[in-house]
Amino acid sequence: MASSLVCLLGSLAIASASTVKYDFEIGWVTANPDGLADRPTIGINGQWPIPKIEANVGDQLIVNVLNSLGNQSTSLHFHGLYMNGSTHMDGPAQVTQCAIQPGSRFTYNFTISQPGTYWYHSHTHGQYPDGLRGPLIIHDPESPFKDRYDEEMVLTVSDWYHDQMPGLLSFFISKVNPTGAEPVPNSALLNETQDLRVPVEPGKTYLFRMINIGAFAGQYIWFESHNMTIIEVDGVYTQPAEAERIYLSAAQRCSFLLTTRNDTSENFAINANMDITLFDQLPGDLNWNVTGWLVYDSAKPLPIPTELESDVYDEFDDMTLVPWDNQALLGEPDQSISLDVIMDNLNDGANYAFFNNITYVAPKVPTLFTVLTSGDLVSNSAIYGEYTHPFVLEKDQIVEIIVNNIDPGKHPFHLHGHNFQAVWRSEEEAGTFQDSGVTSDNFTQVPMRRDTVVLFPNGNVVLRFKADNPGVWLFHCHIEWHVQSGLMATFVEAPLELQQTLAVPKDHYDACDAGKVPTQGNAAGNTVNLFDLSGQNVPPGPLPEGFTTRGKVAMAFSVLTGLIGVAVVAWYGFAGPAPAAAAPAAAPPQSVGTGGGISHGTLVGAGK
Amino acid sequence: MAVDVFSVPIFLVVFREALETVIIISVLLAFLKQTLDGPNRDPQVYRKLVWQVWLGTGLGFFICFAVGGAVIGVFYTSGANKWEGTELNYEGAFSLIAAIIITIVGAALLRIGKMQEKWRVKLAVAMEEPIRIGSTKGSIKRFFEKYAMFILPFITVLREGIEAIVFVAGVTFSAPASAVPLPVIMGLLVGAVVGYILYKGGSSTRLQIFLVFSTCLLYLVAAGLFSRAVWYFEAQKWNNAVGGDAAEVGDGPGSYDIDKSVWHVNCCSPTLNGGSGWGFFNAILGWTNSATYGSVLAYNLYWIFVIVMFIVMRYREVKGHYPLMRAKAPLTQTEATKTHDSENEAPVPSGSQSREEIAESKAVNTHTSKAHV
Repeated sequence: MASSLVCLLGSLAIASASTVKYDFEIGWVTANPDGLADRPTIGINGQWPIPKIEANVGDQLIVNVLNSLGNQSTSLHFHGLYMNGSTHMDGPAQVTQCAIQPGSRFTYNFTISQPGTYWYHSHTHGQYPDGLRGPLIIHDPESPFKDRYDEEMVLTVSDWYHDQMPGLLSFFISKVNPTGAEPVPNSALLNETQDLRVPVEPGKTYLFRMINIGAFAGQYIWFESHNMTIIEVDGVYTQPAEAERIYLSAAQRCSFLLTTRNDTSENFAINANMDITLFDQLPGDLNWNVTGWLVYDSAKPLPIPTELESDVYDEFDDMTLVPWDNQALLGEPDQSISLDVIMDNLNDGANYAFFNNITYVAPKVPTLFTVLTSGDLVSNSAIYGEYTHPFVLEKDQIVEIIVNNIDPGKHPFHLHGHNFQAVWRSEEEAGTFQDSGVTSDNFTQVPMRRDTVVLFPNGNVVLRFKADNPGVWLFHCHIEWHVQSGLMATFVEAPLELQQTLAVPKDHYDACDAGKVPTQGNAAGNTVNLFDLSGQNVPPGPLPEGFTTRGKVAMAFSVLTGLIGVAVVAWYGFAGPAPAAAAPAAAPPQSVGTGGGISHGTLVGAGK
Repeated sequence: MAVDVFSVPIFLVVFREALETVIIISVLLAFLKQTLDGPNRDPQVYRKLVWQVWLGTGLGFFICFAVGGAVIGVFYTSGANKWEGTELNYEGAFSLIAAIIITIVGAALLRIGKMQEKWRVKLAVAMEEPIRIGSTKGSIKRFFEKYAMFILPFITVLREGIEAIVFVAGVTFSAPASAVPLPVIMGLLVGAVVGYILYKGGSSTRLQIFLVFSTCLLYLVAAGLFSRAVWYFEAQKWNNAVGGDAAEVGDGPGSYDIDKSVWHVNCCSPTLNGGSGWGFFNAILGWTNSATYGSVLAYNLYWIFVIVMFIVMRYREVKGHYPLMRAKAPLTQTEATKTHDSENEAPVPSGSQSREEIAESKAVNTHTSKAHV
């Protein structure tokens, strides 16, 4: 009986699968969500905030993009979607596609196989904080929780800058910012605005889909006098878990049920506080909190948020979540990748982010096109170029990623094309995983899965996933500043299968032509010898260590001139008195004539 | 080590600054003693000049303590280091002034050492001559000549003192206040004692050697100061660009402008933590762990300037005119001497003789140029 019902529902879902189409003209609008400053903002169809994308599981999504920005290229990434069979629709420029040039059109077309709370954003040149970021909701007619709530709502939290990214980035990655201090946001936003009023009715249960679409700041979120029941993170249903306060890093999502109170005598504050531990400095005028309200009765006052008793937020630990499907810990990995997060300066004086010793630099040929044009060398990671930090994954391998944080900041790591099991996460300051003595025996047996996980300061995290999704997938820190400073690696998953099966539509090649980006060859665009990476894009060289040649030459010269100088001074000092004839030129004639002794006496006399 | 009563960096800084000051003062005193307290005694002028030296020193100290008190007062009332914003510009300006003064006075000292008699007279004349209001250029020059013995120690003490104060004041925020007084006093005492030994050694043994040796040392210090002045100005610009105190990032990346760097070693900074031994290195030899094009060029150009200056001075002493500038008439050396002698004795040489000599010298010139070709 049960199985036939499932079959029936399944066939219904297939039957109801439809095509959902959006036409997006991406262009500049003026926005001022915090009431402090008008600024040019990237909107869609003349609007900002940009529209929410909604579809059902199984739907085909078509997004027709027209880039009307005029001065910037763009691309769209659908954050969290597996893009199975459509890695070329994933969005990151120079990875799976060429950026869409101003005035050009481009179509994203893929089928969605997963339910949950996602978002979409630009994946070009650190562009999305300028506004190109919005929710993407995949409804699930078969949700295990579909009978547990009456209504659903989407809430986003985000950070907001009054300056545009290109200018901020040129400061951020420059020699005058040697510590790599990330620009601090000017405001926090709730649903891309402030003082948000969320009308609710008493005695009902709401499904809130909460998304951090910010660039940098993680946010602590809580509803005064209401608890949350978490049921989904990053598109993965979980066993219900009660939480008083949650933390969402940039790019993380969390769905929770919230049951309203039975009386309408009061309204309640919704608090979102930016995580100021991420900020190198706190500008005096920064309000890092944003407030909204659950409005039971619009005639009643909107209360001022209650001050926290201490700075301790005591947020819900997402590592304790158990996925709804109880998927067990994946077995011992076939491939283990260890990445150390390091911040360091290169010889342009700017601060860069590194996985191990590599800071990401985009290749000349988008990595996916290298896969498609490299023949039987496709599984050799060398052709993708050292600075894309490529790892070739074989089909269906169990892959383990160990990330050691050698940096004192939090980093939310995101994997494209997958979610992963977060099998281990250390406390802060725990050092590297390798030194910690933790083994797989300590791993969570039914680990939480999500696509973006927070790595704690100087801590470590161990992630596992199965390489069952051929494609080119980035693994990167989702702090947009760090994406730009190179905290990114490329996973080339099952490239042979990809090469044999993937057909890339013509408009992708048109985009490359429009941007004059080559679509053949290795990372350097060399097509004859794929191991010849001469001409590839490279980061600045390392900082010189101590005395370089020019330093030695300069030092030698300085020592030499110093010695000669001292010798000349000494020579002059010890040289005999000048020939009597030469000296008088400077002295008054009469003193020479009269002779020293007498003149001396006269002068002393005058002195009296 | 129950209570931290001795901050080593503070001691080193104060010692270094004190020594630097005392070296300059002792050179001046040694000079005065040698020239004016020697066989041709002139106790009056001597005492007057010694008094000037001590007055300059004392006034410098007084202003230092006043400024230091004010600075520390501001620190403790506002809790912010007001100096830090432009501190390096002050350092740079003081360094530059000190370098220029040492250069001029150093040369004078050596010349005086050699031509004691004449210079003693000249100095004495300068001392006694009233300042004229008429021509500004002349009066400034005269004012400087007249009070050189005051200005040099004054500026030196001021510069070293303020450097020390800024540093000590800065350190008092990281170190307990109890760790400050002892090293300051010890630094001053040890610096003074070492300086005194130098001075004593100088006046009891051969003063000429001490004078030359210490003047060499002075020029080394001045070269370092000149180089550092440029370095300070650049460092201030860099601080402004970085929008904070670049020294806060220690001696690693970001503490210097990579585009201007000639060498940089992530250690051995003469300014961090009092510089330790590197501070002395810096004070005497102009060492920096982070050299810039500007500072290296400044160092070398300074020396080249000094070398040329002394060669020119010697040339003029020997030949009676500057190189490339034919004195009164183009003459060979012996003839020049002869002419000079005759000039002094009988100021107007006969016209025919002069023309003859010009012709002669032209012939010599063509000859030499041919030889060069």
